[in-house]
Amino acid sequence: MRCAECRDALTSYVDGELMPEEAETMRDHLASCAACAAEHEMLQSLSRRLREGLARPRAPDVLKARIRSALSQSTGVLADVTTPGRPWTGLLVAGALIAVVSGGASFAVARREASRPAIAEQVLSSHLRSLMPGHLTDVASNDSHNVKPWFNGRVDLSPLVPRLDSAGFPLAGGRLDYVGGRTVATVVYVRRQHVINVFSWPTEDRTAHTPVTSIEKGYHVVHWSDGGVELWVASDLNARELEQFVTLYRRE
Amino acid sequence: MAHREVESFERLVLPHLDDAYALACHLLRDEHDAQDVVQEAVLRALRYFDGFRDGDARAWLLAIVRNCCYTWQRRYRTDGLSVSYADAETSSQLRGTDTDAGAIRSSDSAVIDRAVASLPPEFREVIVLRELQELSYREISQITGVPMGTVMSRLARARKRLASSLGLLIEEAS
Repeated sequence: MRCAECRDALTSYVDGELMPEEAETMRDHLASCAACAAEHEMLQSLSRRLREGLARPRAPDVLKARIRSALSQSTGVLADVTTPGRPWTGLLVAGALIAVVSGGASFAVARREASRPAIAEQVLSSHLRSLMPGHLTDVASNDSHNVKPWFNGRVDLSPLVPRLDSAGFPLAGGRLDYVGGRTVATVVYVRRQHVINVFSWPTEDRTAHTPVTSIEKGYHVVHWSDGGVELWVASDLNARELEQFVTLYRRE
Repeated sequence: MAHREVESFERLVLPHLDDAYALACHLLRDEHDAQDVVQEAVLRALRYFDGFRDGDARAWLLAIVRNCCYTWQRRYRTDGLSVSYADAETSSQLRGTDTDAGAIRSSDSAVIDRAVASLPPEFREVIVLRELQELSYREISQITGVPMGTVMSRLARARKRLASSLGLLIEEAS
């Protein structure tokens, strides 16, 4: 074997990709040629260093939780994450069944009614997940000029990020979360030790709905919509202060 | 989708989330983008699960993750694929919370991460698939959609560059 042939085959040899007889020929050559043997040794040690040193990041728990939550919704109808503006896709089965008997006019309403409790539940589980260490914010800042632009290009909506610190609701930051089969903008405020998560995403339904507060497993969840934007707020703050927060948030 | 089908999807695909995430981190050099892309890739994989019956679920998922990474970069990044992410800050972010490694080893790791990060993407992906995921040429060829011969030559060229940037290059006697 000539050295040039050996060098050509060295990568495959190091990776164990040669046929047994080819590998045999290589071994013979490497035993008798110091220059090729040095090159072989270098490739092996490079490979070793890469295997030991290359970063091997593990999927964070929050990602696993998001994926599992998205998968659990898909057992009905597959959540369509690639079509923006259709947050209710995952609930079409329920909606369609009702639509068959009640006709198109009440379809949207029925679909909304069917989906609200499911969304409220997801909003709450996103809220709870956000309270785990390190999960609250992707961008941590009390300055809305840092938080608002962070969402550009990450979600198909620029969420409201009003300054409310003078009213006792300082901004904590923002993050991406996963609700209703889609990535949503989440703005985080705090009140004393209480976290307030504001989730928003665009919706095709342009009718405005005034805020409705409900209690989910002891937490307060407020829902409203404004001109094509769906908003949900979750917190363990008392209802009175949370409603005060919502009023201030909506004023902007 | 039937409950049973989603269950079998979870059983086959979810064990490979760590590999999927590691690949996305190395291709995108950004943890948040990697999370979004892996999530998108898994949901996309579920949609195409009909088309996957047997074979290697890991290679299949990694192929989808790889495609999603490049789609993502085309969609959201104006700096394109050839950008060099070779700054220490990105590398240490990517390293995450693994503190088991000793100080000497982790300093070598930072050097290695920087060297790999500065490779062009077509070289970086074969290095990650081969050295980190320990996949065969055949699997790497399936994932990247290039012939096995190209996988081999890209690996050879990528290693030459790494050897040079890590100061391992042997002076050839002329």
